[in-house]
Amino acid sequence: MATVEREITIEAPPAEVWPAVTHSDRVSEWFGAQVELDPRPGGHGVFRWSDGTERRAVVEQVEPEHKLSFRWLPFQRTAEGDLEPIPSTRVEITLDEIPEGTRVRVVEQPAFAPGMTTIHTRAVAGGALTPRRTARPRASGPVLAAIDA
Amino acid sequence: MRPDRTDLIFSALADPTRRQVIRALSEQGPATATGLAANLPVTRQAVTKHLSALANAGLVTSSRRGREKLYQISPRPLTDAVSWMAALGARWDDRLAALRDHVATPKRRR
Repeated sequence: MATVEREITIEAPPAEVWPAVTHSDRVSEWFGAQVELDPRPGGHGVFRWSDGTERRAVVEQVEPEHKLSFRWLPFQRTAEGDLEPIPSTRVEITLDEIPEGTRVRVVEQPAFAPGMTTIHTRAVAGGALTPRRTARPRASGPVLAAIDA
Repeated sequence: MRPDRTDLIFSALADPTRRQVIRALSEQGPATATGLAANLPVTRQAVTKHLSALANAGLVTSSRRGREKLYQISPRPLTDAVSWMAALGARWDDRLAALRDHVATPKRRR
């Protein structure tokens, strides 16, 4: 549930794609942010967007030329220097060799590290969680299907 | 949508029983914990606990019905969560296309 899954075929072998997804200067050219990545389990990633937003990640799995996964920290720093909570998700990038080259697959899904949601909830307590009033419940079928997908 | 809410919504929906509760509410309309438990393989106490997690995420709202609470689905946060996922998917589409172009760019071939 609640998983984003995307893939693309690249006409180059995994050995050529791998540096592009793990070397900081290479990642910075396609990710949409300036990236400093230490591609080792437990290594840190720092992602800086041009609007001044900064997010950090911790690398989880590294299987050379095959798999890189990392977990976003559940906060981002805004251009003003404020910390704001963001959804805690885990990203897994997998490279598979296929006749055409490499199939690159990305899966991003909510990450529920023990305690993370608790800390998170406490951080946003004080108004942000007030349930909002809504009109009558309906048309949630397709939405549920999307979430179950 | 506030990102903190997205996180709450996703953690609330991570549990399969809670998704069943949401589904039951969307199919049957407003119901009490007792009414929901009758059609689910869990106790009323468990349903109450799940409903409270769902309410905390803004996914259900409740009103008093005698000694029990009547719960109903709150569709907006669900729609928001799906939009958030669609935006995230679109961002990855852009990134993957950029990655492909980047790998294909001759100056990058070493």
